[in-house]
Amino acid sequence: MSDHVETFEIAVNGQRRRAAVEADATLLTWLRDGLQATGTKRGCNQGVCGSCTVMIDGWPQRACLSLAAACEGREVRTVEGYGDDAVMRTLQRRFAEGGAVQCGFCTSGMLISARRLLADSPRPDEAEVRAALSGNLCRCTGYKKIVDAVLLAAEELAP
Amino acid sequence: MSRLLHRPGSVDEALALLAERPEARLLAGGATLVAMRNAGLVDASAYVALDGIAELRGIEQLPDGGLRIGAMTRHRETATCGLLRDSLEVVRRAASMIANPVVRNMGTMGGSVANADPGADYPAALVCVDVELELAGTEGRRRVPAAAFVQDWYETALEPGEILTAIFLPPPRTGRSTYRKLARVSGDYAIASCAMALTGGQGDEEIAVAIGGCGPGPLRDVGAEAALRGRLDDPGALAALGEALVALADPIDDVRASADYRLRVIPRLVRATLDDLRSERRAA
Amino acid sequence: MNLEGTFDVRAPRSLVWEKLTDPALMAGCIPGCEEIEQLSATSYRAVVQVKVGPIKARFNLVTEVTREEPPDAVYSATRGEEGTRASVVSADSVVRLAETNPGETSVSYSSEVSVTGRLGKFGLGVMRKKAESLSLEFVENFKKRVEPESAGA
Repeated sequence: MSDHVETFEIAVNGQRRRAAVEADATLLTWLRDGLQATGTKRGCNQGVCGSCTVMIDGWPQRACLSLAAACEGREVRTVEGYGDDAVMRTLQRRFAEGGAVQCGFCTSGMLISARRLLADSPRPDEAEVRAALSGNLCRCTGYKKIVDAVLLAAEELAP
Repeated sequence: MSRLLHRPGSVDEALALLAERPEARLLAGGATLVAMRNAGLVDASAYVALDGIAELRGIEQLPDGGLRIGAMTRHRETATCGLLRDSLEVVRRAASMIANPVVRNMGTMGGSVANADPGADYPAALVCVDVELELAGTEGRRRVPAAAFVQDWYETALEPGEILTAIFLPPPRTGRSTYRKLARVSGDYAIASCAMALTGGQGDEEIAVAIGGCGPGPLRDVGAEAALRGRLDDPGALAALGEALVALADPIDDVRASADYRLRVIPRLVRATLDDLRSERRAA
Repeated sequence: MNLEGTFDVRAPRSLVWEKLTDPALMAGCIPGCEEIEQLSATSYRAVVQVKVGPIKARFNLVTEVTREEPPDAVYSATRGEEGTRASVVSADSVVRLAETNPGETSVSYSSEVSVTGRLGKFGLGVMRKKAESLSLEFVENFKKRVEPESAGA
């Protein structure tokens, strides 16, 4: 089906957006190539690395394993779509200031997973943070500063 | 509306779509099918998405105390379901060890079971607790016991045009159960795994054990289990169960481990899993 | 991967040899074989469909008989692809025939097979199991066709 183009309309970051891609394209392709929303990354394209993690209907999911066609009618939120959300802003600042970003490739996926964690558990312990981020691989940092950034953000938001 | 993806609102509608277009692929969570599509291993001309069918969702308790798990239940829900306790806790634990939290938001029990990956986590747990799988076809519905569901490598009792709709669990029996997974890293498929349930009173304990990752489907020997009744702390008797399971095994050599390693590890997994359950009982 | 096995056929060696080198008969015995065509005195083209779980692969193969030592052994080389070269397969094989008792032949085969490309990603371990089960199916099919003819002779 890859020679067949279709236009999909999906709610992204609070707005209905339309883009034409191959009929069987993934949400990841639709976001990056259709919308030029390149904050979400393509790493393994097999659902393992986590760099494509986005929020769909409030839950972190793999954009590379979601068909764009299956996302019509869903609410997608990417790392670019949190505006002034205090939790996300705090996480982003803690990542940036705390050395939790080196190449940055894993960062957007990490932030989505962390955002969900803090919604479920405002003061997680280290084990919970590591478990929540266990679906996001990082090749640069060794994870410590990422975990610390999430813990410090949680502490700041819910002292 | 996509010309490629159909989203029926009922099982009957889905069955009619499959009858009309036998080459269409059923789409559950997409965690396996879309990954295969990305790797160029599957090139579907049509998808039938099952996420619009209400009866396929959710875990409910039935009047007889048993449970019905809809095929589209996500691993995350199964992993946090309090109804899966005692002898059924093994199913909850197996769900919690599938991949990682993000994939658990997407993958479904039905999708996983129907795919029958030899290294997946549910099959051993479901065989251990003796579930029945409900399959729907245009002729009606039928149930297949877990132990008979996997027929060959990646082949199941599902006939073309059939849909796995629900997983039925017997009522929980008082006791303890657990799932132990041997894997290279957290989130990987199992090299080998052990699902174990202990029920019954002290001195007369019964054991149910199923091994995953060592053949097309899970390994279980109910005869060897019966011989162990009330004798679980006899190392010789436990070794006999391990040997019986090794005799049933048909493991592959793959990047995760050799077939030989899998055979060696089975009896050790059985012992280690029993030790886990003993420690939990002492700690309780 | 190396695939090998042995099976016994209740038929004389000469008949087994004849049948192993008969394209029409072989097409009926190879599981999933959709077409077979003799290209020359020593080469054949075949299309074989193999299914593993949700993955269906249609292999386009060319087999060249590289050496014949009648009535003992046949050596062949098979090269092919599936999915427009998404996977590439090659196999070097030898089949040996031995008369065990009058009217009975022991056939042993050994094949060095390599599969690269997208099917390689799927995991060679399961492919071996699949190849072994296809070989067993082939043997059953072959015996069913050859043994009655021999018994009737």
